Amino acid sequence: MGKGEFTALKGINLTFGKGEFAGLIGPSGSGKTTLLNIIGSLDVPSDGEAMVLGNSIGKLNSKQAAQLRKENLGFIFQSYNLLQVHTVYENVEFPLLLLNHSAAERKRMVLDALEWVGLTDKIKSKPPQLSGGECQRVAIARAMVKRPSLVLADEPTANLDAANSHNVLQTMEKLNRELETTFIFATHDEKVISYLRRKIFLLDGRVDNDETVKSN
Amino acid sequence: MTRPLNRTKSIAMKLAIKLAFRNLIGAGLRTWLNVIVLSFSYVIIIWMNGVMIGWEEQAKHDMTNWQIGGGQYWHQTYDPFDPFTLSESHAPVPSELTDAVAKGDIAPMLIVQGTLYPQGRMQSIAIKGIDPKQTVLSQPSHRLDTIVDGIPAIIGAMMAQDMALQKGDRVTLRWRDANGTFDAATVVIVDIFTTNVPAVESGQVYISLQKLQEMTLLPNHATTLTLKNNKVQTPEVDGWAIKTKDTLTKSVDDLIQTKTAGLSIFYFILLLLAMLAIFDTMVLSIFRRQKEIGTYVALGYTRHQVVGLFTVEGAMYSILAALVGAAYGLPFLAWQAKAGWTMPMDVSEFGMAIAQTLYPVYSLGLVVTTVLIVVLTTTIVSYWPSRKIAKMNPTEALRGKIQ
Repeated sequence: MGKGEFTALKGINLTFGKGEFAGLIGPSGSGKTTLLNIIGSLDVPSDGEAMVLGNSIGKLNSKQAAQLRKENLGFIFQSYNLLQVHTVYENVEFPLLLLNHSAAERKRMVLDALEWVGLTDKIKSKPPQLSGGECQRVAIARAMVKRPSLVLADEPTANLDAANSHNVLQTMEKLNRELETTFIFATHDEKVISYLRRKIFLLDGRVDNDETVKSN
Repeated sequence: MTRPLNRTKSIAMKLAIKLAFRNLIGAGLRTWLNVIVLSFSYVIIIWMNGVMIGWEEQAKHDMTNWQIGGGQYWHQTYDPFDPFTLSESHAPVPSELTDAVAKGDIAPMLIVQGTLYPQGRMQSIAIKGIDPKQTVLSQPSHRLDTIVDGIPAIIGAMMAQDMALQKGDRVTLRWRDANGTFDAATVVIVDIFTTNVPAVESGQVYISLQKLQEMTLLPNHATTLTLKNNKVQTPEVDGWAIKTKDTLTKSVDDLIQTKTAGLSIFYFILLLLAMLAIFDTMVLSIFRRQKEIGTYVALGYTRHQVVGLFTVEGAMYSILAALVGAAYGLPFLAWQAKAGWTMPMDVSEFGMAIAQTLYPVYSLGLVVTTVLIVVLTTTIVSYWPSRKIAKMNPTEALRGKIQ
């Protein structure tokens, strides 16, 4: 393979609106995580333009990209990515520390976020003491605590059993409706797909199909 | 613009400290092992430096009491390291200083070469004439007023051991007078004194100044004039050189400086071991915590801020070590300052002004300097591996795929 280049995405032209509950669906290597990372300003497109909340991702320097993520984006990962030595409270508090909220404000917002995900009784626990479902709910609380415009969830149910998967998906759907936060998932899990209101199928880095589910 | 920027930096630093503290405490045993190793470095460096400073102070104190007083006049040709000049190194006590000598503020001493014959052996020595009534130096010169069948003499304990002499022993002493004529008499050892200053006893016999002046036909002559303290007036006197206390103790400063430089190698090795442990921890930490690093970036940190966070985390080992070191080090150092450190071997033959028990002396400067050096070194050692984070691809870090 050496230094040979690989094109992960080709000819993508997508627009997401406020409050969408959308998913990038496709098999491994279809480019869904790459696209999610570009939207999340963790990666930059080698060609073309990605505009997120009025910012051209390719033109942002590292500080501006960090600012965008800090203020407007929330991330939910397949393996939760919680800070292992911090308590549930501290994990959820972290984005607010970066935003320099006051202690009282942080406390109120953290408790609100933990209430959304039903974990107010676990604030002093540390991730190793929690189940997978609980860890993912902490990750959701952490992503949502600052009320971001956009939440990016990469295979959020891949490590969860069916019951926990439905639980976290219902939580996210509820937050999406109540707070009008846009959710974009990267997934190939049928359970996740069943919750999506917009399904974008990717194949070999191209959009194969983009369908919106009509609400009842 | 500067004020908001500084405020932002200050907030970022506070946050980094807060997070680093949480991370370190959360890491448990790994943190405390590094902290304990590093705290040893603090305590041992401060203690050993304290011993050196204590030794220097003790050596200067003892030298002052036994050898140099508050400074000295030396006859212009006197060179303590050249015995061949000794026969010419004397002159009458200058008239400008006779009042001070009479008041006891200056102690004249005549030094001539001689030979001692302890138990049939021949030993070259320096005969030192000292006023029995002097109070400038600590030698028990008053013992020279003892009436015995011979010339009363006092010697140091190390000299007594070398010559196999004891109190009350009689021994033949030979000398040359001002005309070059040899003469001999019996001296009686009336006292043996103990001192930490080998320079005042090695190969030396003390007798009464007046007696020595009579023996050598050098009335009122002296080789050195020792001042009681540094308040005594020291006018320029023709034929005599003023030697200040600082000049005379320079040899001690040089010796301690040499010893301290030698000890620096030990400190370096000690610090190196502690730093290796921290470096190793940081390298392992960066490798093991890739996902965490990626998460920090995803949550809004720049990679350089993560480098800062990890550097602060490493540097914080030295802060925690200072606190832990203080917890057990302060009582230990205080106890040592009071009880002293008694060296396991006999130091009397070391040939330097050193006491058997050394009392460490600590200064704020010593503590602050040690803490600053350790904190700075730890910060550099932590920053070094942390720079790798700046080159990490956050998406790969998030997946923990960096090798």
